[in-house]
Amino acid sequence: MPQNDIEIMFGGQAGDGSLTTGDLIAGIFKRMGLEVYTYKDFPSRIRGGHTNYVIRAGERRNYGMADAVDGLVAFDLEAVEAHVDELRPGGFVVFDCSSERVPDAIRRPDVTWYDVPLAKIAKEELGLELVRNTISLGVLSKLIGMDPALVRNDVTGVYARKGEKVAALNIRAIEAGEAFVERHFSEWPSGYNLEPREDGERLLMMGNDAIAYGALVGGCRFMAGYPITPATDVLEWMAKHLPKFGGVAVQAEDELAAINMVIGAAFAGVRAMTATSGPGQALMTEAIGLAAVLEIPIVVVECARAGPSTGLPTKTEQSNLNHLIFSGHGEIPRVVLAPGTVEDSFYISARAFDIAEKYQCPVFVLTEQALCQSKATLPPLDVSSVAVDRGKLSTEAVVFGEYRRFAWSEDGVSPRVVPGVEGGMHLAPGSEHDPAGVILEDAANRTRMMDKRMRKLTAMRRDLPKPIVHGDQCADIAIFGYGSNRGPIVEAVDRLAHAGIAVRFFEFRTLWPFPEAEVAAFAAEAKHIFVVENDYSGQLERLIRYVTGPLAHMHLVNKYDGKPFRPIEIIEAVERHALMRGPSDDAPQPQTVRVKR
Amino acid sequence: MAAVLTPKDFATATPAWWCAGCGDYGVLSALKQALAELGKAPKDVAFVSGIGCSGKISGYVHAYAFHGVHGRALPVATAVKLANHELTVIAAGGDGDGYAIGAGHFLHAVRRNPNVTYIVMDNQTYGLTKGQSSPTSATGYVTGTSPGGNPDAPINGLAVALAAGGSFLARGFSAHPKKLVELLKVAIEHDGFSIVEVMSPCVTYNKINTYAWFKENTYYVDAAAGYDAADRTRAFGVLVDGENEGGKIPLGVLYHDSRATFEKLVHLPEQPLTKIDLHANKHQLAALSNAYR
Repeated sequence: MPQNDIEIMFGGQAGDGSLTTGDLIAGIFKRMGLEVYTYKDFPSRIRGGHTNYVIRAGERRNYGMADAVDGLVAFDLEAVEAHVDELRPGGFVVFDCSSERVPDAIRRPDVTWYDVPLAKIAKEELGLELVRNTISLGVLSKLIGMDPALVRNDVTGVYARKGEKVAALNIRAIEAGEAFVERHFSEWPSGYNLEPREDGERLLMMGNDAIAYGALVGGCRFMAGYPITPATDVLEWMAKHLPKFGGVAVQAEDELAAINMVIGAAFAGVRAMTATSGPGQALMTEAIGLAAVLEIPIVVVECARAGPSTGLPTKTEQSNLNHLIFSGHGEIPRVVLAPGTVEDSFYISARAFDIAEKYQCPVFVLTEQALCQSKATLPPLDVSSVAVDRGKLSTEAVVFGEYRRFAWSEDGVSPRVVPGVEGGMHLAPGSEHDPAGVILEDAANRTRMMDKRMRKLTAMRRDLPKPIVHGDQCADIAIFGYGSNRGPIVEAVDRLAHAGIAVRFFEFRTLWPFPEAEVAAFAAEAKHIFVVENDYSGQLERLIRYVTGPLAHMHLVNKYDGKPFRPIEIIEAVERHALMRGPSDDAPQPQTVRVKR
Repeated sequence: MAAVLTPKDFATATPAWWCAGCGDYGVLSALKQALAELGKAPKDVAFVSGIGCSGKISGYVHAYAFHGVHGRALPVATAVKLANHELTVIAAGGDGDGYAIGAGHFLHAVRRNPNVTYIVMDNQTYGLTKGQSSPTSATGYVTGTSPGGNPDAPINGLAVALAAGGSFLARGFSAHPKKLVELLKVAIEHDGFSIVEVMSPCVTYNKINTYAWFKENTYYVDAAAGYDAADRTRAFGVLVDGENEGGKIPLGVLYHDSRATFEKLVHLPEQPLTKIDLHANKHQLAALSNAYR
């Protein structure tokens, strides 16, 4: 059966242009009407070091990588060495054989090899080695049958910015690639049937862009940040677009300044945010406690990467969950939200500002490198569905002496006025204070003010993003997960269902306050529970266990190698434990099930 | 025009908790006097302070006051100004808050030049933690954490600021209220980042840098003596090169110039960010997604 689903990997040295070509291909696939997901795996340096860019395209939206790579475009031998094992049997390799040869030992016989002297053609026929990337696009598009008109259209579009001559040169590079394939190869990769479909109104957007765009639509008009991978895109997007809407984005001197600026702007009455990653998040911790105790609404985007310390600064991980939920001295009300797709990144980011302002506390939007720096196709974003509710903020004058900035209330939220409003003058102190803001160490007041702030956690539950249950609601096998793992888990659930194995998946969208009731209900009838997460210690699993108590049938499916899950890894874990299959398992084999690989 | 204001309009019901005789009282009364004389309405004043004895000052000024974490008053104040440039924004803290834990922000606030006034209340010691050495303590100063004498050389904050492009540098003495009121008024009116360092003796822990010591070891540079505060070379002379009456601490407006503020350089719109209608422009917002088609 021809499959309308393909995963291409570009591999080479950082800075050699494979990211540009990868983006081009993603755009062409999108315009062919296919659903696209991209994943960048790059080193923490600008020039040199192996980098690869995965582009997956197909009929269904997957939000993750496939089990294996179909086609590898390798600009050097290192790319072959690093990734030849990831190819599916029957896959293919386009290899730049200008100056290197693939040793027989790694020249897998079950994949088709297309040796093309990309750099040589670029130099000799086109006079510029740099265009070898575009030649590879010509080779690839011919091999897998991409729409030639779309290829030319997009290449022209991308390079037109650099002038007509550059655009024309790149079109010649496409033609050179196509011509080489026609002249030298008779057998083309089989099994791909990339049927063009309707592109429609869809978008191709990166997670970080969706977060920034969502923030803008959600009313954010101030951002302060400090460059850090993989969060910098958010600051760059805001720096470009916020001023058009009357807002400001500031590059601070460090994360300490960034978070304190955000707090200052929010104190003054502007919806404000920052975006950072683990190391920056650690620096911001003290000030986030201040925001909570001063009941100032702020939004902090955490684009997680592998830690600790510098860790793997460009790779994905989910190990900052504990940090977001538990970090800081003292106890504060806080919210942790986690989108699972690019479009949910938009909606959750927008919503975060309403939650922050309605409950006057810090709200984290947690995402990871595998989602926030990935691009995906998505339906048009519904900007008009985003409401802006500023909660108990008022610009009306209040009566000085009667007004209490931190007044007691049922939901723990007090009426809020900001500088400039007549009568509202008060002290906002990080020290414990009374309802008027006067610093007070009295024991009864302390208890009352702690209760007031913490009760927001109860009141806010009705406004928090609900979990999504995917799959067969009655299945015995249950999976928990969040964030970038949503894609591979949903795909695994669907494939298991096709094989007759019913599985359901609980996708967290709010991680704190922890949705205890929903978790307990979801876990109650399950015979096998799997918690899928990218960390060592099972941070999510422990939170679930805190609700369910220890369960012998709960299994942690985790990895912490900097790479996102592929669906097969989840399928195999389910098979191993729930279907009692696996090499070392001498339990009886209950059934023979074939899951489509 | 509103009714004439007096320092009482900036008084809070909370009494100050400083030790009797603390230099910070002089700073507080001078600030209230300056704000009153400038006719600033309390509702339009945002006053941000750090941590330490001096950081408590925000609790004693009737305004929109913010008492944040240690060393971060300047990022908060800078952002308050960006968020609502119609406010008068003042930050205050001690020598530890500004020149130790907050030194990085101090330098970057100088670079940015926001229209914010920063009062550094310098007592050459850590008062609230009971008398350890501070970044302005003299080398050799003996304290609980420096029993063998402070090994560090003191920071000259104003000299650092001058080198970094500071646009307004002044120094006062809390025992000279009239002069201090004048300095604060000029600083608040300055269009840019104005630093007023105030010699503010700690009567409890610093037995060296006392009122008497400051009286003996300070002098005013002023126009009468031919001093030109617009002359940067002259300012370096008194702050760095020892042209300071035999090692005395120079007081007065030491340097001022005029350069673009941060608000101007980030192209802040006329309308304060706090007044933008967030419900507007759905069409313009939606149009942004066209780039992703």
